[in-house]
Amino acid sequence: MLRFTKKVALASFKASIPVLLGYLTMGAAAGILLTSQTGLGAFWAFLTSATSVSGALQFMAVDMFANHTPLLTVALVTLSINIRYALYGLPLIERWKGIPILLKLYLILSLTDETFALETENKYPPGEDSLTYCFLISLFDHIYWVTGVVAGSLAGGLLNFNTKGIDFAMTALFIVILMDQLQEKQTRIPAGIGGICAVIGLLIYPANMLVPSLLLILAAILLFRRRLEVANA
Amino acid sequence: MPSANTTYLLLATLVMFAVTYALRGTVFAVFGGSRTPPRLILYIGRVIGPAVIASLVIYCFRNTTPLVWPYGLPETAAALVCILLHIWKRNPLLSIILSTILYMVLVQHFSS
Repeated sequence: MLRFTKKVALASFKASIPVLLGYLTMGAAAGILLTSQTGLGAFWAFLTSATSVSGALQFMAVDMFANHTPLLTVALVTLSINIRYALYGLPLIERWKGIPILLKLYLILSLTDETFALETENKYPPGEDSLTYCFLISLFDHIYWVTGVVAGSLAGGLLNFNTKGIDFAMTALFIVILMDQLQEKQTRIPAGIGGICAVIGLLIYPANMLVPSLLLILAAILLFRRRLEVANA
Repeated sequence: MPSANTTYLLLATLVMFAVTYALRGTVFAVFGGSRTPPRLILYIGRVIGPAVIASLVIYCFRNTTPLVWPYGLPETAAALVCILLHIWKRNPLLSIILSTILYMVLVQHFSS
């Protein structure tokens, strides 16, 4: 059972401060983008950010809402962007065994990259409850993200300047994520495969390039599995 | 009565939520016991991340027109600034904000 004390609350808040800064600013950028590109207000900012709790997807949602992307493509895009989440549970299965089901469902809902990192690090103060510490980190991070997106959306509605070109923020975000991933050598061939498949997808089906691109990527990484696993070993 | 657009937005939000939640939860539902995931799943999970992000970068440039004015110059300039800044400072927000401002200035003042 959860055991709330001042000490554990303070420790989890302190651990979450870097996430606070990151989520408020990135969330605000996504919220500004949503409202300036689609005209959708704080209600949609809240609904999307509170349920999906996913950074890259929040940016892609703006693009998909604006283009009325077919729902099947929305599902495929979400699957590809967030498939890494399918592995995040692995180190947490044992620790979360037998905890109350509602708590478990919430911890799963709010499991982002940053929350996962803090929860696997799990630096709870001695004598305090590890699960309470993890729950509070989840809750804090979730609140930061939703607050950032909603605040950005409200600001986006007030901004009275020409926002043409602001969608480059999403391009820049993906460039930055890619550059950070490329620091690890074994990501380079997969990234190259992704780039080539996307160019082919754009050439063969420009109206909805993501579907052929993502299917090609899946086919390519299955086809080159042996070579990629050797390269990674 | 919600408009067609509202219905679409609600469904799209629901799809994003359902797929993301299922991804986060699958491992607990399927491997909650002692079974470990198949090696194929682990392999896909390891390599698909950078491939997808690289394809999304290309996707973001899909409307660039290299053969027609402005020849993709605003995109190229902003992307270069983003890359160089990120090599130099490794500060994601700085790279994103400055390159976006540059891009906005370029497309608003020079390319129409």
